[in-house]
Amino acid sequence: MKPQTARQKPLGGSEKACRAHAKSQAVSSHERRGLRKQSSPFTPSRQQWLLLSLAGAFIATNTLALALSGGSEQSDWTGLALWISCALVGGKILDRFLPDQDPILFPIVMLLSGWGLLTIARLAPPFANRQEIWLLVSTGAMLLAAVFPHALRWMRSYRYVILAVALALMLATIVFGSNPSGFPFAPRLWLRFGGFYFQPSEMMKLVLVAFLASYLGESATAFRIADKDSSAKAHLPRLLGPTALIAAVSVVMLIWQRDLGAAMLFFVVFVLMLYLTSGDWRVIAGGAAMVIVAGFVAYHLFDVVRLRVDIWLNPWPEADSRAYQIVQSLMAFSSGGIFGRGLGQGSPLYVPVAHSDFIFAALAEEWGLLGVISVLSCFAVLTLRGLSIGLRHSTSAFRRLFAIGLSTMLAAQAIMIMAGVLKLIPLTGVTLPFFSYGGSSLLVSFVMIGILIRLSSEAR
Amino acid sequence: MSIEVTVFLLRLLGGLILAGFLLALFYMIWRSLIQMTDTLEAEQTRYARLAAIGDQDGEHRPDKSFALLPITSLGRSSSNAIVVDNEYASALHATIVLEDGQWWIEDRESRNGTQLNNQRIQQRTALADGDEIRIGRCRYRLILTKQRATS
Repeated sequence: MKPQTARQKPLGGSEKACRAHAKSQAVSSHERRGLRKQSSPFTPSRQQWLLLSLAGAFIATNTLALALSGGSEQSDWTGLALWISCALVGGKILDRFLPDQDPILFPIVMLLSGWGLLTIARLAPPFANRQEIWLLVSTGAMLLAAVFPHALRWMRSYRYVILAVALALMLATIVFGSNPSGFPFAPRLWLRFGGFYFQPSEMMKLVLVAFLASYLGESATAFRIADKDSSAKAHLPRLLGPTALIAAVSVVMLIWQRDLGAAMLFFVVFVLMLYLTSGDWRVIAGGAAMVIVAGFVAYHLFDVVRLRVDIWLNPWPEADSRAYQIVQSLMAFSSGGIFGRGLGQGSPLYVPVAHSDFIFAALAEEWGLLGVISVLSCFAVLTLRGLSIGLRHSTSAFRRLFAIGLSTMLAAQAIMIMAGVLKLIPLTGVTLPFFSYGGSSLLVSFVMIGILIRLSSEAR
Repeated sequence: MSIEVTVFLLRLLGGLILAGFLLALFYMIWRSLIQMTDTLEAEQTRYARLAAIGDQDGEHRPDKSFALLPITSLGRSSSNAIVVDNEYASALHATIVLEDGQWWIEDRESRNGTQLNNQRIQQRTALADGDEIRIGRCRYRLILTKQRATS
């Protein structure tokens, strides 16, 4: 396909058209599966189980190695058992209810989360039990999102209600927020429910992508007009609402919450989704300009931003004070080398709170360049598959934008923290999806994958 | 065997399994990309037809479908390639054209307008598979096909 036509025809179809079409596609996809079964035995279901069992073998080997090298720790084995049961039950349910699903997504996130669990158990054993419970909850939520047939329709119909609830929770965090660590000046991003803490800004990621996909998807037909200039003028008012919303959420996150990462993430994903709807390069240019201007303003107004930029430009003069964490992270990368120090044999604990934002540094020290490349590949493949799921929904703009928005969100988050830990960009405190310690993050990332799996089984 | 040797062997094993996982992953991606290019190549030549899906009043009409020509005119007058038998349609209501493998629809200054997916179109607009076009009270669905349709 020529790039020109691809740009002019980005999105299409009403929901009704999609549903009527789905019937004819279901038939053809069954025929295709039938053919594939005859020609090769490597069916999607077998692909899923092969990947899952390899991931399981990897995690079991490492759990054994950790137990041998670091003395016997009871929690590791319960973690492994829990992981295996999550993988088995999840794989079976997906096989049973969604035989047409993308067989790669679930094994990848199971590998990443299992690997993360292992790393957390090695770095901060007291946190591992909590994370195991979250893994159980997250897998359940993911399966629910994937199998429950009305989830997508509800997210579309009740978008304003969901958005209002999410915004209310965020406002509540500003008033009643707390921090599990209990330090008086730590950012208060969490809401406390009994013994558990929840981070509304994590939920906001999913809610925002769902809202933008359904909102922008409705104006998608209007953007397909040949004359770009007049269409941009005509639909400017429609776009002002969401733009103002995103700007407001980002600014609130930045000013009251000091959550630079989330603010940045919301804005980047919004600009990309708007670009995909309109196909207009000026959206990207304008977005980039706004980020630069906002960066300058924030550098002069907020200490947090100035600190992050300063230690990014030159951490060495303050290597023992403000830039301690990032310098130790670089040391961890260098001591890991190509093959790594081996699980339990490095000293990643020199990096403060290594189990959360800086887990990538611990990974680099103990598994080396090979581990880093593996994790990078996993995220790359996840993004690739997510985008291609979106592209296959040619008849529903909402589904296409939803899939693309979710994979962009995960990719942007992973890139931001991995590049931040490596001092390639200023550090923004977001979690490494599936890997880092953090219940809300794990839960929301898994639900995102559940929705992607659902979308993949509905696509052509 | 001492613990150090065991741990080292386990590390080696873990590394191999990880490499196996990635190899399997890339093999699957490669296969599906090949499959996707095949599908896309098969869709290169595009034919389209319009299927009548009834009018707004819900009155049932015999399901008719019309093969689209590279330039197809729609309207009430019998000189059109597709005659829209409806009093709300203009004599020459709209045209659908094929350009660079892409179908476009254009309203020909009709009195009551042409609607694409329930939105009135003002300019020339690209069409996608499954789009619903309304002219007067008649509704049509665009269906892209690989083979030439027989009307």
